[in-house]
Amino acid sequence: MRYGMLIDLTKCVGCNACTVACRNHNGTPSGISLHKIMKYEVGKFPHSKMKFLPMPCMQCENAPCEKACPIGATVKKSNGIVEVLADKCMGCRGCVAACPYDSRQFVWEIKNYYEQAPVTLFEKRKQKEFQKGTVVKCTFCQKRLEHGLEPACVSTCPSQCRIFGDLDDPGSELSKAIAAGNARPFREDLETNPSVYYING
Amino acid sequence: MFKKRKSTYDHVLSEMDFNEDVFGISTYQWQEYSNSDTDEKQTLHGICRMCMQGDCATAVHLENGVVVKVEGREVPPNYGSLCPRGNSATMNLYNPYRVKTPLIRTNPEKGLNVDPMWKEVSWEEALDYTAKKLKEVRDEDPRGLAVCEGWGNRETIMRIPFRLAFGSPNEIGAHGSLCTVHYGTGLIHGNFPISVVDLEHCDYHITLGRSIGPNIATVPGTRKLTKALKRGMKLVVVDPRSSYEAAKGEWVPIRPGTDLAFLLGLAHSILFDVKIYDVWFLKNRTNGPYLIDDQGDYLRDEQTGKPMMWDLTDGIAKVFDAQFGNIALEGTYTVNGTEVKTGFEHIKEGFRDYTPEWAETISTVPAQDIRRIAKEFIEHARIGSTIEIEGFSFPFRPVSVNTERNVMNHRGGTYSDLVAKIINMLAGAIEVPGGCLGCGYRGPEALAPGPDGTMMPGYEAKDRPFVFPPDIGMHSFYPNSHTTPHLAAHALADPEKYYLTYEVKAWLNIGGNIIKYNANPEQYVNMMKKIPFSVSIAYHMDEPTIMSDVVLPEHSFMERSRVAPFWPQHQAASYEVHALQMLQRRQPVTPIYNTMHVDDIFTELAERIGILYGENGMYDYLNRDVDYIIKENGLNLREPYLLDINKKHTLSDIHELQVKSWKFGDGETMEDLERDGNIVKWQPKKTAYNYYYHPDNQTRHEFYIINLKRTADQLRKNLEKHQIKFPGVEDDSIVFDLYRPVPYWVPSSEFGVSEEYDLWAINWKTPYYSSDIGGVVGNPWLAEIYRKDPWEAVICLNSTTAQRKGVKDGDRVTVESRYGKLEGLVRISELFHPDAVGISGAYGMGTVQSNPLSKEGPLFNRLLTTKEDTLDSVSGGIEIAPCVKIVKKGGLA
Repeated sequence: MRYGMLIDLTKCVGCNACTVACRNHNGTPSGISLHKIMKYEVGKFPHSKMKFLPMPCMQCENAPCEKACPIGATVKKSNGIVEVLADKCMGCRGCVAACPYDSRQFVWEIKNYYEQAPVTLFEKRKQKEFQKGTVVKCTFCQKRLEHGLEPACVSTCPSQCRIFGDLDDPGSELSKAIAAGNARPFREDLETNPSVYYING
Repeated sequence: MFKKRKSTYDHVLSEMDFNEDVFGISTYQWQEYSNSDTDEKQTLHGICRMCMQGDCATAVHLENGVVVKVEGREVPPNYGSLCPRGNSATMNLYNPYRVKTPLIRTNPEKGLNVDPMWKEVSWEEALDYTAKKLKEVRDEDPRGLAVCEGWGNRETIMRIPFRLAFGSPNEIGAHGSLCTVHYGTGLIHGNFPISVVDLEHCDYHITLGRSIGPNIATVPGTRKLTKALKRGMKLVVVDPRSSYEAAKGEWVPIRPGTDLAFLLGLAHSILFDVKIYDVWFLKNRTNGPYLIDDQGDYLRDEQTGKPMMWDLTDGIAKVFDAQFGNIALEGTYTVNGTEVKTGFEHIKEGFRDYTPEWAETISTVPAQDIRRIAKEFIEHARIGSTIEIEGFSFPFRPVSVNTERNVMNHRGGTYSDLVAKIINMLAGAIEVPGGCLGCGYRGPEALAPGPDGTMMPGYEAKDRPFVFPPDIGMHSFYPNSHTTPHLAAHALADPEKYYLTYEVKAWLNIGGNIIKYNANPEQYVNMMKKIPFSVSIAYHMDEPTIMSDVVLPEHSFMERSRVAPFWPQHQAASYEVHALQMLQRRQPVTPIYNTMHVDDIFTELAERIGILYGENGMYDYLNRDVDYIIKENGLNLREPYLLDINKKHTLSDIHELQVKSWKFGDGETMEDLERDGNIVKWQPKKTAYNYYYHPDNQTRHEFYIINLKRTADQLRKNLEKHQIKFPGVEDDSIVFDLYRPVPYWVPSSEFGVSEEYDLWAINWKTPYYSSDIGGVVGNPWLAEIYRKDPWEAVICLNSTTAQRKGVKDGDRVTVESRYGKLEGLVRISELFHPDAVGISGAYGMGTVQSNPLSKEGPLFNRLLTTKEDTLDSVSGGIEIAPCVKIVKKGGLA
């Protein structure tokens, strides 16, 4: 079993529903995003277009972050998910620097979203799950997976551009769609062997 | 400048420029909210309200009474998805900048940056005080109350019954003057609000100035478009900006404000280059073959008064419903010694000079592209083909061209929409599978023919009666307009000029922001200052609320109990929701502040004013209320479930009666709705296409737009009868010129202006801001994203334009129209037409007590004007692409 994700860029419209659903589900403190969309443009007028690259953690098989951690606080689980053990993490941030996808963030402080106002009731509950001075990252919403649910970014997507599943199972919808769409990981040249694949668009 | 005391507002106050005359700071301290002490997990059925459609089904998860997650439910219409705004709903509920308790002003001076010195009061005091003030106004003249509504709360069922029971004709939509998009759909489809593409079947879709879904990130539109594109539909996006939707299709860049020229060129090319059109449709389902007399009216049979067509077989003119051998669509014929042409011939002749080359000189779209698109459009229309749906044979026309706000909000904008309709009619793609569909009422009334054989104009295409003296919105002079807050502002500033014979003494704001979401904000601030008493039913301290005398804080949408019918969707149609009749339930979250449900506020006020009970009371009007958009298919009360108009009802009681009254119900009650969150009643798919109700030659659409001419003729008569001039214009030909039955090129007010204004500003709605709902601009989850978005809250310029102006990415510039100006940072982008200055969304403004986020960024609307000679006189629409110049701060640009 190796969890993986396919993102069909021909379908993605760059709306960031995924990014906000991630925040909604994980309750990340202000300034911390476990998911992002890189927006950019290509071409010169009048042949110019918007482009979008949604980026959860790539859950690399050959994860640079794991190697960068001096104390083994980053672990790769048998299901392929790369996880930070918050209680172990000493906050050296070597992994943040090592990740070529900018998928990790260091919690310098736990900030409120309404900056100058008291903490909201939602944040009061959710912020307990974060420890100042540690590194955080996307885990494909592993608590949701435990309940048989897909990651929040997958289930909310209005263009249904994501497929989640088992990369090790050649018969899974995910594996078949990757093959059919000739999907590739982002920056394959880095040889990190990510679990996230993209159909170019 | 005087010294201010420290207060909870200090962080806000410190950012504001105060003038010397400001009072001290407020005594109003927001109350801290308390957590619920229930110790359990709970999931409620929700209905999202973070956009104007507001129909996505949600599951609201709570732990110990705190909302910990809002997600889409796997049911129609969103099937599990939510957009970025919907995903941020939790922050709408827990927004600390909400109004948390009833407030009464103590500072008589009003202004956006003037502290009202609120006194916190009990609900009893606030309601008693408001009712007393409103009753005084009503006793003197009920017309003295103006109700200003808006997207912020479109869920109230009591607003209209309250106003009618009060006796005032004055209801003003705060927002609509920048979205005057309804005439063509009312006329050609008998629908409201707009028309959309059938993405289930369409193969070639041209879209202008609007969103099919992704541009404003609506879930249903995005889902449907993605599937259509995967199916192979070609998408052509004509826009000065290479938008989210342009990223998924062909982008055709166009000079701002020139869509009408492009569309005329496209229609010309179909008529004169391609020379293929749906002759059967035009002969049998439009007034194209009707003969037109020398006055521009239908040539009528002297005996029956019926319009006539020429029969080529018999060589004579006959009444339209006679037996015809072969109806003449084109040509000139002699009837009773007079030469007459068909309506089609008038349109064709009218479009003869609008060659693609002509259109290119105005729109910059290359003539060869216009010709290619015309050819592709007709090729994809499959003229003559049919499709069978559930045993019913429809014409199959998988093409549609659709226009909206950025096309129609110019002088001549209604013509743009009508030319798009004419193009769809040339393809026969109206109300049939694959084509252009009204996005509202599905049923027999929409296309029902009148005595002339043509369908009766619906909604805003149906003239409002001429009332004199007029209401404050001046609807008598703009009988087909959308909402007219700008005309109300003009009239209140100069009542005599606008024939207003009474004073507006009270203003009730509910969900609308007349100040920020229009042109020329100061105009509305001054207007509100003049009104003796204003009350705001408010979610947060927005611009109209800070100007109010009383603030009645309402529940946020998640706290608001709701039962709603399903309205067809604004961006696109497909079988995901085609023919879906549904009721949805929102189970409310326990309110966290001292707020009330909007409909309870109306009920309490009505009772205190003495207009709740009895005949012509609020309950009586609620009993009589019929859904404006979907008519009998809506959630209307009916026998035997009408309210007893002489006793008080809870909102729950009313919901129960509504559910039992529902036309599609089968004995279901609130209990069913509470359990499942919805009651779904799929209808046959064929009923989603209004052709079904009036097939073959059983109705006709206006190809020759005689309705415009009729309206103008009637309006002229009424002006003459009352011996009055058209208010607000020097020469009324500027108004009547837009009521000709054959559309023609009308340059907007922003062309032919001094050379220094060498660019045009454009604006668009965004995934983070689709309209003024849910406090989206102040939502920090969305703000975190829009602040990083390359094209949000900045001033976008094409690189060649920037080079010409000597500005660099990140430079601070002033953008100045002839009406107003704004400042911002330049973003150089290839996504913009070189003649465009792109400014997204509606950022900026804010008040002395508002969320700091709502003050950031440039407010596009500052560049706009409401002067009558710049409006589209038919729709009342404000010009949305003003010509501008840009000036680099500290130097020339």
